Amino acid sequence: MKLQCVSLWLLGTILMLCSVDNHGLRRCLISTDMDHIEDSFQEIKRAIQAKDTFPNVTILSTLETLQIIKPLDVCCVTKNLLAFYVDRVFKDHQEPNPKILRKISSIANSFLYMQKTLRQCQEQRQCHCRQEATNVTRVIHDNYDQLEVRSAAVKSLGELDIFLAWIAKNHEVTSSA
Amino acid sequence: MVAVILLATIPSLLLILGGWVLPAVVLTFFSPGTELPSPPSVWFEAEFFHHILHWKPIPNQSESTCYEVALLRYGIGPWNSISNCSQALSYDLTAVTLDLYRSNGYRARVRAVDGSRHSNWTVTNTRFSLDEVTLTVGSVKLEIHNGFILGKIQPPRPKMAPANDTYESIFSHFREYEIAIRKVPGNFTFTHKKVKHENFSLLTSGEVGEFCVQVKPSVTSRTNKGMWSKEECVSLTRQYFTVTNVIIFFAFVLLLSGALAYCLALQLYVRRRKKLPRVLLFKKPNAFIFISQRPSPETQDTIHPLDEEAFLKVSPELRNSDLHGSTDSGFGSTKPSLQTEEPQFLLPDPHPQADRTLGNGEPPELGDSCSNGSSNSTDSGICLQEPSLSPSTGPTWEQQVGSDSRGQDDSGIGLVQNSEGQAGDTQGGSALGHDSPPEPEVPAEQDPTAVVFRGYLRQTRCAEEKATKTGCLEEELPLAGGLGPKFRGCLDDEAGLHPPALAKGYLKQDPLEMTLASSGTPTEQWNQPTEEWSLLALSSCSDLGTSDWSFAHDLAPLGCVAAPGGLLGSFNSDLVTLPLISSLHSSDSS
Repeated sequence: MKLQCVSLWLLGTILMLCSVDNHGLRRCLISTDMDHIEDSFQEIKRAIQAKDTFPNVTILSTLETLQIIKPLDVCCVTKNLLAFYVDRVFKDHQEPNPKILRKISSIANSFLYMQKTLRQCQEQRQCHCRQEATNVTRVIHDNYDQLEVRSAAVKSLGELDIFLAWIAKNHEVTSSA
Repeated sequence: MVAVILLATIPSLLLILGGWVLPAVVLTFFSPGTELPSPPSVWFEAEFFHHILHWKPIPNQSESTCYEVALLRYGIGPWNSISNCSQALSYDLTAVTLDLYRSNGYRARVRAVDGSRHSNWTVTNTRFSLDEVTLTVGSVKLEIHNGFILGKIQPPRPKMAPANDTYESIFSHFREYEIAIRKVPGNFTFTHKKVKHENFSLLTSGEVGEFCVQVKPSVTSRTNKGMWSKEECVSLTRQYFTVTNVIIFFAFVLLLSGALAYCLALQLYVRRRKKLPRVLLFKKPNAFIFISQRPSPETQDTIHPLDEEAFLKVSPELRNSDLHGSTDSGFGSTKPSLQTEEPQFLLPDPHPQADRTLGNGEPPELGDSCSNGSSNSTDSGICLQEPSLSPSTGPTWEQQVGSDSRGQDDSGIGLVQNSEGQAGDTQGGSALGHDSPPEPEVPAEQDPTAVVFRGYLRQTRCAEEKATKTGCLEEELPLAGGLGPKFRGCLDDEAGLHPPALAKGYLKQDPLEMTLASSGTPTEQWNQPTEEWSLLALSSCSDLGTSDWSFAHDLAPLGCVAAPGGLLGSFNSDLVTLPLISSLHSSDSS
């Protein structure tokens, strides 16, 4: 009887902890080296952004979209945006220049690695998507769809620095200086 | 048929061509001239809150060419024209790009304007964002401190920056600075160092010369470039006058002066003119004071019969005196140190005459008290003992010398002939030498003139005393009866003089018999060993007047002082010759 009580008590504690985790008290954070990605981007930034001919349109920073995301939604939004870039932007962009293509490829590989890390969080049910996160993702996709595909892809690539800065701000980013 | 079709299509073709050509023709006819070229490139050169847009001029620029600048916030709104006509090739856009560090960036464009002609817009290649700001350093301050160069880096503080946007707040983490140091003579030999804080220190390791320092900032988590600061130079000289050196120097000087002052003070203290205590002062060279320690003028030439009552009063004090052997006026002290610091034999002042007439006999109690040898009395050293007492005790002039009265001046027998003079040392002093009493104010000169004896010389029983006395302090001053004071100490038994007679009372001294010379010599000899002795000059034994003689300190001039053991030998031979009063008036004593 006593043993049952103790086991029940332990189970209740574990469940409580899990629920607490699910509520996002523990964020699923990416510990990754962003310097490499940022360096790669800086080298192609000029070429990429020069091709962007619609400066008055933005995809990622509509109404400070990314700035208003709450910590609870960080994991979901990060996961969605990574999927956005990997599944849509990198595929839609056709880069003729091999050097730039190499850099873009390295960035894409880094994004793939980050996606894998986040998938583990998702399996632990720590990456719950709330309505706000879903809304933000939908807005970004809508912005992307309003433009012509190639222009949209180029613009999205040109806005990689915004995305990387947001990741660095919201996740545990190590600096390998 | 075909011709008709051709005829129908030709005008259409012409129309189409005309549509193409005519406008061109029209344009060429009506355009003001060649198209104005647009600036080849436009770019930002930005530092912290110092955003300058630059562009290259158009070729074939004329004097009337100016440039129009427009700005767009990335993703938001139309282009805003900033400047309609700018002659320069740059424009400061800081004021309109204040939120660069918190936004997604700006795009700017420039076009050439010449009159009514405009060129195409040239847009900046990249989105102007925080990544394009070149990092700079505001200022570098160098200080020299203890062989270190301490540097303080001040981040830039531009005027146009809003209050909340400081360098540290925008680049809050991972700030780093690279420092290049060079010694002035070598222009190209730099040593580099990376620091992660705004304060740094450089170790110069004792080098002397001029050092120049440059700083380049960076943020490790960003790709921003950094710019080297202006060179700051500081010269290192060999510091001799550092604060620590000066403090050490002054401390050393203080220490030295303190030590010198201390030595000087010590020397002054040691060499100061010592003043003889009053009790040792021989104000009158008269006869020796038998009992009183203070010379009283009226007693000099008057013989005061001893008052038994006085002796009674005195007796308790006499206990202390260690004078053994009855020596008149204190010679009975067995110890050469006759003197105590106070007159050991204190006769009450109201009975001065009693002091003088020792021959009247001692109070009966004196005898016992004298032999006690207690030393807490103020007795000058003469212990007047009852002659009727058992001879074993005998009239003993107990000196107060005692173990605890080393420093006392035993007046011994203060037969002061003039009571002055025996070279100043006739202060009864303990044989062991007492250092406490001041230099006896010995009478400067010892008058060789015979001193009229005014008093009675108590005979010493030293001879018996010596044998019987166990508590002899080794300084016995038996006075040979009639020979005057004899100095004999226990140390010097063989040299001691046997007292001529057992003194029961006081021996009237023959002043004439006292010779100064004989008394003088011993005193001279006394002088040498210790100046502090207050040995009574034997020479004055003959002057057993009522003059003050005391076994206390001021008995110095008296030659009848118990000499310390060492000197007794020398004394004795001389003392023997002293014509002392040999006849004790026993009647006086009792």
